[in-house]
Amino acid sequence: MRKSASLIYHFAERESKARYKRSLLGWFWSFMNPLTTVLVYNFVFGVVYGAKAPLTDNGKAESFGLYLFTGLVVWSVFTGVVNGSMGWLAGVSELRKKIYFPTETALLGGAAANAVQTSLEAVVLITIMIAFANISWTVIFLFVALTLVMLFALGIGFIVSVFNARYRDMQYLMGILLGVAFFAVPIVYTEELLNRQEVPDLVRVFVTWNPPALFVEIARDAMYFLEVPQWNRLLAATVWAVVTFTVGWVFFRSKSMEISEEP
Amino acid sequence: MSTRAISVDGVSKKFRLERNRPSSIKEAILRIGKTNDADDFWVLRDIQLQIERGSFFGLIGHNGSGKSTLLRLMAGIHRPTTGTIESDGRLSALLELGSGFHPDLTGRENVFLNGAMLGLSRKQMAESMDTIIEFSGIGDFIDEPVKIYSSGMYVRLGFAVAVNVDPEILLVDEVIAVGDEAFQRRCMAHMNLLREKGTTIVLVSHNTRLMTELCDTIGWLDHGRLMEVGPSEGVIASYLAAVDADGDNKLTTRD
Repeated sequence: MRKSASLIYHFAERESKARYKRSLLGWFWSFMNPLTTVLVYNFVFGVVYGAKAPLTDNGKAESFGLYLFTGLVVWSVFTGVVNGSMGWLAGVSELRKKIYFPTETALLGGAAANAVQTSLEAVVLITIMIAFANISWTVIFLFVALTLVMLFALGIGFIVSVFNARYRDMQYLMGILLGVAFFAVPIVYTEELLNRQEVPDLVRVFVTWNPPALFVEIARDAMYFLEVPQWNRLLAATVWAVVTFTVGWVFFRSKSMEISEEP
Repeated sequence: MSTRAISVDGVSKKFRLERNRPSSIKEAILRIGKTNDADDFWVLRDIQLQIERGSFFGLIGHNGSGKSTLLRLMAGIHRPTTGTIESDGRLSALLELGSGFHPDLTGRENVFLNGAMLGLSRKQMAESMDTIIEFSGIGDFIDEPVKIYSSGMYVRLGFAVAVNVDPEILLVDEVIAVGDEAFQRRCMAHMNLLREKGTTIVLVSHNTRLMTELCDTIGWLDHGRLMEVGPSEGVIASYLAAVDADGDNKLTTRD
């Protein structure tokens, strides 16, 4: 157990260090990335298409940018961990052929590094919300949402990384699937848009209840509308996260000894 | 603690042959649920072996006889297809060139990583760091990424780590041969030192003279089967006789 903990720490440290190795500005880039994404999306959807975000709780701001940013913080955990897991496992597979160590520590370490990065983004989000005087104790549900999305993403990461160890097709497939999934979550559009008649019921239900959407909605309730998330959303999100993580973990553990035999 | 350091009980190991891997998704899907014995290669068959605590055990056999695979199974890198393999004590392994090193990390970072894999704390590793650097003779290169190391440096650092983490069981594949004469002597001396401390050592080598000198017990593998286990001279004599009988003198002259 202690051995695993020190390995997780090691892999997390390596992931964090390697990320901005040989760069002058280092961690500055980790803020630039979400910032430019928010600015570009805000311009395209907010300015060009004139999308309107709902009013924040204090009624002062109606900021599409903040609406976006809240969703993106959660979404980036999902894509970061799912995509990352394949790289984290591939990164240690040569090593694992020469020395025994529990392979899951590489994924858990990568996820820990992602969690540090996400915490920084969360701090930025909270700071901005404080500046807009749009903050409440419901902020704790932001961390609930981030924990749940992390568990869910790790569960999927455990599964796809094992497949990717054998067939690299997995990473290309995931690149496409995640690109599609981004639009199945109300991040660049609002939930209100779904309530129009043209939208089929099936689409509405799917976009409201798919797991990544649930995590995003919980975070937005907490940070943007300053409401306690609906209990049925919290329950569904928790069940999705715990079940997916457990299934992924069990699957990974049953296959992890075969990784050293991949060519 | 039992008197056995490693127990190998009815172990067989099967590998899948690469040439028979499905090359497309279509083929992979068509093959689901179908197994074909022709796809498999049995590297080891029904190995029964006990290695006593504190013994210096050698494994000999022709190329491809399964020595290295058996060593990897002992190290926990692979799981046996059938049977069980148990080791009792902290196990350190030096299996091949740069064993357990990550090319992008510096020598020092790799030492910490290896320590973590063996269950040693950062503090414990920091304490042995000077000894490891001194023993390996790596010098200032310790803070350079190991990918720029020469093969000799790789092995020297690998060996320095493997023997300085206070192992209870040490597995060494034929890698020491890569180091220069001076380093080889130092390795031998250190392995003898470890043996005196009660460390169980398993060594794979083709160097029969060296094996006779170092090992008290030897196992002879031939095409994945354990032919003979016993005191060094006897087993090596049987092995050499078999090689001679085979009319193949290539292996004997490797010495």
